Amino acid sequence: MDILSIIFIVAGLFFMIVAAIGVVRLPDVFSRSHAVSLTDSLGAFLMLVGIAFHEGLGKNTLKILVVLALLYILNPVIAHATIRAAFRSGVKPWQKKSS
Amino acid sequence: MALFVFWVLISASFEWIHLGLGLVFSFAVAWINSGHSLFVPKFRLWLRILLYLPWLFYKIIESSLYLSKLILHPALPIDPQLVSVDSKLRHHAAVVLLGNSITLTPGTITVEVDSNKLIVHAMDKVLSEDIESKQIESKIADIFKDEEPDL
Amino acid sequence: MTTFFFYVMVLLAILIGAYLYRVLQGPTIFDRVLGLNGISTKAIILFIVIGTYSERVNMFIDISTGYALINLVGALAVAKYLEQKGLP
Repeated sequence: MDILSIIFIVAGLFFMIVAAIGVVRLPDVFSRSHAVSLTDSLGAFLMLVGIAFHEGLGKNTLKILVVLALLYILNPVIAHATIRAAFRSGVKPWQKKSS
Repeated sequence: MALFVFWVLISASFEWIHLGLGLVFSFAVAWINSGHSLFVPKFRLWLRILLYLPWLFYKIIESSLYLSKLILHPALPIDPQLVSVDSKLRHHAAVVLLGNSITLTPGTITVEVDSNKLIVHAMDKVLSEDIESKQIESKIADIFKDEEPDL
Repeated sequence: MTTFFFYVMVLLAILIGAYLYRVLQGPTIFDRVLGLNGISTKAIILFIVIGTYSERVNMFIDISTGYALINLVGALAVAKYLEQKGLP
């Protein structure tokens, strides 16, 4: 059981590191939000499932799943609100230079 | 109902007094907030949404592997573009579910919603074609096919 | 297992540093808001990892739930305000 949880947590950390690299590296707001949503969806899922495996069955696992469902419902709302504010106030999306 | 489940999950105690208090308060709040109407649960709809989630999760894994390959590529071969999607969904809840699914999938994000037109920002040609093929929308239309249209 | 969770905590703190670079450096204000959202997601996970490290998960999970809800309200308020105000 410990080995399974270590595997899940390491996979989640991998996605989080990729997302942090993306946040530093990508060129504009819209593409950076993709990197943030990568962390939110898959990284958080894998890490919380790993911790739930470590906890075993019980009340704590149930509560961890509640936090996970909350993240899955709330994070798209926040990302959409931020991006819509950016779009309506006139930030131009970055385009690939056509040469 | 959903509020009562939330109460039980948050408090996580199964004594009689907690359960009774949670039942009374959650139904009172639901009754006040829903315009004093009787509460009709839609079990078949919830069951279909629950069956839709594993497929969505498969899509999330697929596109996040693709997106991490794009980010870690040394030349950064991204080609962001705005795509306008015209959906045929006839429910508020269905449009909300569609927008949430698109935003939750890494690589695509909903920028603007106007009744049932969506503007989607996609990271690459492959991902924007994935949006335009309307797989997610046909699945959601399948979920909501029995309900009364209200849009 | 405890040392493993300790290293996970250290790595998460370093990742928060990467997001903090984006908050301090960001060209527009929306970059900063986005970086703060990423930091709050990391903080929720960091709370639960700290709880597992010190073996008191049931308390820290309640804290992280409240933090997620407060973060929703704050981020929505900031986004709404910036949407009405326009690009500074």
